[in-house]
Amino acid sequence: MILNGFINGIIMAGIVALPVLGIAVIYGMTGVINFAIGGIGVFSAFTTWYLLPYNTVLAVVVGLAVGFALGYSIQALLLTPLSARRGGDLNLFFLITNNIGLIFVGLTRVIFPRPIIGIPLPRLGTINIFSVQTSGLKFLALFIAIGSLLLLRAVERYTRVGKSWRATSQNLRLAKIVGINTSRAFNVASGIGCMLAAFGAIIWGSLYNLTLTTGFDLTFLGYIIAVVGGIGNILGGMSASLIIGLVLSFSAYLVSGSWQSVILYGIAMITLIVAPRGILGSERSV
Amino acid sequence: MSDPVLEVSELAIAYGANLAVKGVSVTVSENEILGIVGPNGAGKTTLLESIAGLHPLRQGSIRFRGNRIDHFSVHKRRKLGIVLIPQEENIFPGMMVKENLEMGAVLMPARERETQMDYVYELFPTLKERSRQIANTLSGGERRMLAVGVGIVANAQLFLIDEPSVGLAPKLVTNLLERLRQLKEDTKRPIALCEQNIKVLNVADRILGMEAGESKFCESLDVVDKGKVKELYLGLHA
Repeated sequence: MILNGFINGIIMAGIVALPVLGIAVIYGMTGVINFAIGGIGVFSAFTTWYLLPYNTVLAVVVGLAVGFALGYSIQALLLTPLSARRGGDLNLFFLITNNIGLIFVGLTRVIFPRPIIGIPLPRLGTINIFSVQTSGLKFLALFIAIGSLLLLRAVERYTRVGKSWRATSQNLRLAKIVGINTSRAFNVASGIGCMLAAFGAIIWGSLYNLTLTTGFDLTFLGYIIAVVGGIGNILGGMSASLIIGLVLSFSAYLVSGSWQSVILYGIAMITLIVAPRGILGSERSV
Repeated sequence: MSDPVLEVSELAIAYGANLAVKGVSVTVSENEILGIVGPNGAGKTTLLESIAGLHPLRQGSIRFRGNRIDHFSVHKRRKLGIVLIPQEENIFPGMMVKENLEMGAVLMPARERETQMDYVYELFPTLKERSRQIANTLSGGERRMLAVGVGIVANAQLFLIDEPSVGLAPKLVTNLLERLRQLKEDTKRPIALCEQNIKVLNVADRILGMEAGESKFCESLDVVDKGKVKELYLGLHA
């Protein structure tokens, strides 16, 4: 049972790590916590579901592209101009991004024919680890999360574009002075963040059901884990995903699934009181 | 004398209702260091930053090589080769020295960037030794050199350097100012240099004295009243 809980916990961590990573990337670059990413992610996942009968790969790619395009456009057309005019008013951005999320929940209801869907991605066989059986798709989710983290790290460390992102997040004024297109860096970060959330939603939809409100679950789960790890700290977010994944998994085994949200929000509450900057510290760096 | 590279005329800059720069006119030519002196609050930094495009103009004009640029963005002015080296927050603290220089030359093609980085390393050999060190672990003097390096690496047409010597030990100040003079001799580019350190008199060709946002005098070093400069730079002017 312990082994089962452990393996399921790690896999759960992989799924929730994607929106966490999305929140971390956006916050690291722009200093804004984007509460719309869950709504945008679910809208993108519904797009994937709608296109699935035509071609699986194409449907997933289009879903991710929709996530990126929405994140990029919202940042470019609304959030960056607003930030230039109003500065970093966090309350304002909380309300606005939350509203954007709600708009996408509404649009999902209007555009797509069903409010509850499952995304029937191929199961990719069964994997047996220490006599615990799990689907290949769940493992793929874990590898996608780890792969996304490593890819982001590699881009920011070794490419010119990635270095200009780091420069923008570390010293915005100097980044502008040296000629970095900081607005585009913001837009791309927002696009990547929403694309990661879309990926999380697609995988969520293939393992469980995706409803109109799953976006809120993804956003708040992502936000809580980001708080526990230290908002903006990618490694912190990943560590916290693992901790929360294990806690959720074991609480389902040891207590009851009904207690999961109580335990989850309890941990977030205690973290906010005891270590407000999270277990590894909050940072503004992607 | 050649035509001025930069012509600022009747420039006024305001923060809200307060005028920080009041009708300042000045020029800078090729192969010239213009020293801008004055006490704190004289408007020196605002003047340099507005030339770089960081502040909107209340009135006046800025011409670069004969063309008006005062409606250009910071990005566009940087592309023209107008390089500001700010006094504070002038490095990327979590990045390596080498990466900081790469960011300074972000608008340049890769090959040209390498040549410019070699030039910076020649000017400041310490930076080469520490090229893989994270910037915020450097000493104060080294950080200042890096800040200047991040500007110089851009192969500018005009340098705007804001108080590079602040907080440095006297020996380091002399060294840094000497490097700036060498920069002028090597590149023949004009340099506008804000300074509160009297050693600016050792490197500048002309001095613009500012006080309370106004230009008090702008004279060649040969004729400038050094006593007046000292009085102004110390902020003792009545």
